[in-house]
Amino acid sequence: MSSRDLQGTAGSLPGAQHPAQLADVLERVLDKGIVIAGDIQINLLDIELLTVKLRLLIASADKAKEMGIDWWQNDPFLSGSANGGSLEGRIKRLEREAGLADGDSSER
Amino acid sequence: MSDATVSAAPRALYVYGVVSEDTDLELSGAGVGSGDVRVLREGDLAAVVGDVALDEFDEEPLRKNLENPDWLAETARAHEGVLERALGTTTVIPFRIASLYGDEDNLREFLRANRDSLLESLTRLEGKVELGVKAFFDRTAAVSRDAAGAESGSDYLRRRQEEQLAGRDADAFVIDCARTSHAHLAEAALDARSNRPQAPELSGRAERMLLNGAYLVERGDTQLENALRELEQGFGTQGVTYELTGPWPPYNFVPQELVGP
Repeated sequence: MSSRDLQGTAGSLPGAQHPAQLADVLERVLDKGIVIAGDIQINLLDIELLTVKLRLLIASADKAKEMGIDWWQNDPFLSGSANGGSLEGRIKRLEREAGLADGDSSER
Repeated sequence: MSDATVSAAPRALYVYGVVSEDTDLELSGAGVGSGDVRVLREGDLAAVVGDVALDEFDEEPLRKNLENPDWLAETARAHEGVLERALGTTTVIPFRIASLYGDEDNLREFLRANRDSLLESLTRLEGKVELGVKAFFDRTAAVSRDAAGAESGSDYLRRRQEEQLAGRDADAFVIDCARTSHAHLAEAALDARSNRPQAPELSGRAERMLLNGAYLVERGDTQLENALRELEQGFGTQGVTYELTGPWPPYNFVPQELVGP
């Protein structure tokens, strides 16, 4: 269960033994990579909204707190770059704008 | 597959990413929407692109499609698949899913306007790939260690107390393990990011994810794998397992936003 995980999981390139997990792919193609202002207007705002929705759906802040895995939010070492902080702020703003978040008090 | 009605339908240009100018990539039917993939050159830059139907990718249908998990999964995999094919032979600046231009001229304008920062990224990322490392902690292993055997009421209370203490210890351990693991892996990499751990619903694993890191390495370099083995030897006996993924296009190591014309 331990060291075997390490072998055999490497490689999502052609010829790799295991296809990449969908969660890892979605996390990257929805939330990372360059965002360009193309001339079909959906690509910037709505992708972020979608990401927010997915997060609320499958990794919501409340859920994370419930599980005690919100420590990264306040840990400057682990939150990566300063960039991460502003993204977090933008998502919070988008959540408010989209009416997806109803405050911090909600408990499921 | 490509009958008259499809080819006559209005099209848009889907951009997968920017690559070095000498890239050759022609993929028939392997792009999003089962479309073809080609390279568009502009000066000393090139982009991996494909034509997509506007009845699938225009604002309204795209919004609906993005809400459809099957469509999203298929499109995400196609997007990633194309970039991985490119990554096999060249340097890649990955774009997010559904980056769209109305036509080639508009994309060329974007490439010209952002030439300097795109070239800078290409130079910085040349020969490099992203590896992902996730670490999982099996909390029950730590808690149930000495909670066995028949128990009286006071035994029960004592056990509850111990479990609570173990829970607190486990939290401290998780934070320490995450920091130590990320720092150790970052030392073996050129650049590193620590992302929000995935919830079990997303990761598909019952154990708690304590680290969701991305590491930029030279293609073929084994330092990160060696560092991972060392971590496994250290934390493996304490209920921690690691999962290595990649190589990925360097999604975590490109500028997040470039503003086009």
